[in-house]
Amino acid sequence: MSTVPLSRPGRPALMSRALRLTPVAVTAVLLLGLWQSVVVLFDVPVFIMPSPVMIAEAFQQDFGTIMSASRSTVESVLLGLVLGSLGGVAVALVVSRFPRMSGPVLNTAVLVNCAPIVALAPIFNNWFGVTSMLSKAGVAAVMVFFPVFVNTTRGLLQIAPLHVEIMESLAARPRQVALLLRLPNALPFIFNALKLGTTLAVIGVIVSEYFGGSTEALGVYIAYQAALPRFDYAWAGILVSGALGLAMFGVVTLLERFLMPWHESLHEEES
Amino acid sequence: MAEHAIISVRGVDKVFNSGSDRAVTALQDIDLTIGRGEFISLLGPSGCGKSTLLRVMADLTGPTSGTVTVNGKTPGAARADRDYGMVFQQAGLFEWRNVLRNVELPLQVAGVKKEVHRAKALEMLELVRLSDFAGHYPWQLSGGMQQRVAIARALSADPEILFMDEPLGALDEMNRERLQGELLRIWGDTRTTVVFVTHSISEAVFLSSRVVVMSARPGRVAACIDVDLPHPRTAETRTTPEFFEKVKEVRQALHGAPSEQAAA
Ligand SMILES: Nc1ncnc2c1ncn2[C@@H]1O[C@H](COP(=O)(O)OP(=O)(O)OP(=O)(O)O)[C@@H](O)[C@H]1O
Ligand SMILES: [Mg+2]
Repeated sequence: MSTVPLSRPGRPALMSRALRLTPVAVTAVLLLGLWQSVVVLFDVPVFIMPSPVMIAEAFQQDFGTIMSASRSTVESVLLGLVLGSLGGVAVALVVSRFPRMSGPVLNTAVLVNCAPIVALAPIFNNWFGVTSMLSKAGVAAVMVFFPVFVNTTRGLLQIAPLHVEIMESLAARPRQVALLLRLPNALPFIFNALKLGTTLAVIGVIVSEYFGGSTEALGVYIAYQAALPRFDYAWAGILVSGALGLAMFGVVTLLERFLMPWHESLHEEES
Repeated sequence: MAEHAIISVRGVDKVFNSGSDRAVTALQDIDLTIGRGEFISLLGPSGCGKSTLLRVMADLTGPTSGTVTVNGKTPGAARADRDYGMVFQQAGLFEWRNVLRNVELPLQVAGVKKEVHRAKALEMLELVRLSDFAGHYPWQLSGGMQQRVAIARALSADPEILFMDEPLGALDEMNRERLQGELLRIWGDTRTTVVFVTHSISEAVFLSSRVVVMSARPGRVAACIDVDLPHPRTAETRTTPEFFEKVKEVRQALHGAPSEQAAA
């Protein structure tokens, strides 16, 4: 191990990051081009697969409707994400205080997590009302809860024995051990779970919306357009929901960099 | 020597897994009195119970029998009163805290006001000559620098006693000798009582006012040797005949100890 000069991510870091993204952008453009030419060359019917240009046109036409539909979807996703994450972290904090209990609880949670939680969507619609935002956010929250809970508990419990001994030698109280050692130790675990959670929350909300609800919602819009059938419009909605998931993932990643500056080293090596 | 005892160990035994067939007698009938302001080294072959003795004094483990008094109290009370600081073989810095915040940890745990502990931590960083690295994270430091941060951390709450378990064990010879010098300077500045565990005869002689030689299986105190080399001790000290004489005396005590294993 040698001394490394202190480096903050300044302009050079940003530029190298941009350079690293170039291949991704090129690949995306190539794939879109391929998609467009296959659809045009083989005259693929719209109900099978519309071309990117058609989807873009549909998006432009229905821009206002799609945006207002996205708004309530985004709200449900955020609400579900926040509820699920806070719940997961809170329960993990409680469970980690009783290490003997945490094993069985954790295993049960892993089992439940294997079940298709999204199947609960009709039940939640029944509980909270099909038009209620809570029925959509609820499904997302339950889907987010399990990975966050499982990962956070692991992070809270997997601490270096040496660190525990140092806190012991300082006569730290259990609350201090939790706040100063266990929680920061769990942060990388929590962020990994949150990244998983953003995707899950979008899936949970969109699928719940397929089962009905206020028409101002992305899932309802997609299902409705597909039934009409206006598949180019349905695809526009699908791509927007994809972009939504990606954007949320990006926000969590930024938050991670901001809250865990010490992990800069790992970030650099990762990519 | 012991003008005023700060630590006293009386008839201490430590048996791990007692009662089972895997029982290990790590310490047997240890008697040791450490005076206020002394620099004591515990020296002995691997497995002779040096770490165990240190951990008993620090209340990180309890003795099987016997009594230990630290600063006039039980070790538990001394730990609760934060009478000692501890440095382990690995620095064990919290990787999510920068250097300054690592040094602040003991003060924060002790509930010292923020304005006070910032100033105190900066002072400690100056002591270990790392002021320029206050904002660095542990992964940006070399092993030797990390160990110096660990020493600053152990000293930040002004403990009366410093327990060190092979703190320089993982360092190369050059860094090791430099840090030994710094350690003596810090000891001189802070007047802390130091209990220092090591494998190295020359390290023990260079640093200590007294070397406690231990023998293995079971761990006992084989000899206590006063080291009256004058202070300040410098690189030249290591080349004096007096130094070689002490090293020889300690080596003989170590080899005379009923153990075939020799220490480095
Ligand atoms: N937690 C434990 N459980 C069982 N046996 C232990 C435990 N800790 C230490 N021992 C045993 O006690 C004896 C003394 O161990 P200790 O770690 O104190 O030795 P040491 O002198 O510090 O050795 P080293 O120089 O290698 O660090 C050894 O035989 C070791 O195996
Ligand atoms: Mg040891």
